[in-house]
Amino acid sequence: MHDIILTMESGEIMDRIMIIEDDKIICEELKKLLVSNGYEVFIVKDFNNSLNEILTISPNLILLDINIPYINGELLLKKLRKESNIPVIMVTSKISETDEALSISYGADDYITKPYNPNILLLRIGAVLKRTNEKLDDIYYRDLKIDVGKGTIKNDKKEIILTKNEMIIFNYLLKHKNKIVTRDELMTDLWNNSEFINDNALTVNISRLRTKLKSIGYENVIDTRKGIGYILL
Amino acid sequence: MNFKKYLKDKSYAFIILIISYFIILLMLFAFEIRVELIISITIIFLVSSILILTISYLRKKNFYNNLFFGIKNLDESYLVVETLSKPEFYEGKLLMNALYDINKSMIENVNNQKTLLRDFKNYIEMWIHEVKIPLATLNLTLTNKKGLNTKVKTQLKRVEDCVDQVLFYVRSENAEKDYLIKETNLKEIIKNVGLKNIDDLRENKIDFITENIDYKVLTDSKWLEFILRQIINNSIKYKRNIKNSYIKIKAFKDFDTLVLMIEDNGIGILKQDINQVFDKTFTGSNGREYNSSTGMGLFIAKNLCNKLGHKIKIESIKDKYTRVYITFGSNNYYDVLK
Repeated sequence: MHDIILTMESGEIMDRIMIIEDDKIICEELKKLLVSNGYEVFIVKDFNNSLNEILTISPNLILLDINIPYINGELLLKKLRKESNIPVIMVTSKISETDEALSISYGADDYITKPYNPNILLLRIGAVLKRTNEKLDDIYYRDLKIDVGKGTIKNDKKEIILTKNEMIIFNYLLKHKNKIVTRDELMTDLWNNSEFINDNALTVNISRLRTKLKSIGYENVIDTRKGIGYILL
Repeated sequence: MNFKKYLKDKSYAFIILIISYFIILLMLFAFEIRVELIISITIIFLVSSILILTISYLRKKNFYNNLFFGIKNLDESYLVVETLSKPEFYEGKLLMNALYDINKSMIENVNNQKTLLRDFKNYIEMWIHEVKIPLATLNLTLTNKKGLNTKVKTQLKRVEDCVDQVLFYVRSENAEKDYLIKETNLKEIIKNVGLKNIDDLRENKIDFITENIDYKVLTDSKWLEFILRQIINNSIKYKRNIKNSYIKIKAFKDFDTLVLMIEDNGIGILKQDINQVFDKTFTGSNGREYNSSTGMGLFIAKNLCNKLGHKIKIESIKDKYTRVYITFGSNNYYDVLK
C-alpha cells in the first residue's frame, strides 16, 4: 500500500516518519514541516488501533505524543517495544525530569517538550535517524571525500582542512544539497553543537569556506539567495 | 502559673471569707462564747481557707505550666494538646475538650485549604499543558511560512516564557517534591538555554560566550535550565546600548564547590536595589524604568535553587556588569576532563 518513494534528484530513500498526535492542526503543520524537509509522513488516525498501524507501515521513526486518546503514549511505547525497535521521539507539553526519565526507561530514543523550536525538532529527528541508520558509507560531494571527524575534504590531488564551524556549516549544506538553507537553520545547527557564534562570524565562516572550496577547484558552489539563505549546488 | 496573680484572681473568695469570718465573730461574741473556743474556730477557719486555696492552686499549676511550656517550646505549637495528660480538675477537662474541638475544626479547615490549593495547582498545570498546544501550533505555522516577521516569533517566545514562569512558580511554592536530581552535564543544559534564546540573542546582537563549562553536576536539568533562562532573560532585557554586548557563562572550582558564573555587561543594578533582587515582586529602579517586569523571575529562581540545594548570589556595578553565581555543593560535581 505504501510504496517506497524515491526522491527525484538524489535517488536516496526517503525516511518515513509517523506522527501519533491527537491535535489535528499540529499534525497538519508538522506534516508540512517534515515533508518540506524531505521526509515521507504518515499520520495515525485511529488511536484504538495505533500499534497495528505502526507495525504495518513500519516507519523509520515515530513522533509520539504522550497525551493521546484511548491509550496513553507511554503505554503504547511499552507495548511497541515488545514488538519492535523503531526509534521513538516522545513529544509532550510536560516539562518534567521525572516524565523524561520514565519515557527513556520505557525505551524512547529522545524526549522533546512542546512548544519546540521546529529547527531543533528537525535536528533531533536527524540525530536519532543517524544513530539508528548508522550508514557507514563515506560522505561525498562530487569527487570530494568528506571526513567530518577529521575535518578534512579531499580528492585525489588535494586536501583541505576545515575548522569545526566550517565543517558543521558545510555538512549541513551538503545534507540539504540543492535546497535553500536559511541562516536561522545554520545558526541553530551551530548552536546545537555548542558553537555559539554570532551572525558576523557566520558570514565570515561562509566566506572562508568559499575560499577554501575555491582553492580545491570548486568556485561559486555556495550561492547566496538574498534575504533567504544559502544553497549548495 | 503565678501564685500571686492566682491569689489576686481569687480576691472575691478572700472578701467573702473575711466578711463571713467577721459575721461569725460577731455572733460568737453575741452569744458570749469562751475566748478559747473563738481562737480555735479562728485557727480552723484560717487553716482550711489556706488549704482550699493552695490545693486548688497546685491542682491547676501542673496542667497550665505544661500547656504554656509546650506552646513556647514546640515547633508546631498547635500540637500541644496531644502532649498534655488529662487534668484532674473540672475546668481543665472543659478546656481540654474545647481545645480538642478547636484543633479539630482548624485541621479540617487547613485540610480544606490544602485540597483547594492542590486542585488549583493541578488545574494550573493542566491549563499550562493545554495552552502549550496552540503555542506549538503557532510555532510550527510560523516556521512553515518562511520569511514571516521575526517580531511575531519574539512575542510568541515571550508568551512561552510567561507561561513557564507560572508553571515553575507553582512548582517552587509547592511542598510536594516534583523534581528529580540526576547527574547532568552543564554543557548540555547551557546548550539548551542558548538554543531557547537564540532568536532573542541574535536580534539584540548579544554575543553568547561560554568558557570551561564541561562539568557534571547533580541537579534537575529542567529546573536549572529554567533558572538560567530567568537570568539570561534579565540580561537581554537590561542590556546597554553598546556595540559589544555579551553574556558570558563560565564555570570554575572554588575550594570543594563548583561555581557557575553568568556575566553580562548590561546596565547593572543600583547598590540600594541589589539586596532585594531576589524578593518577591521586587522590580527596583530598572524594572520601573523598563516598565515590563513582574519581579518574579529571580524570586522563583532563588526558590528553586534553595530546593535543589544550590546557592545563588548576585553582584553588580551600575553601568558596568552584573554577575550571577550559582554554587553547587561539594559532592555535586565530577570533573569530566579529569
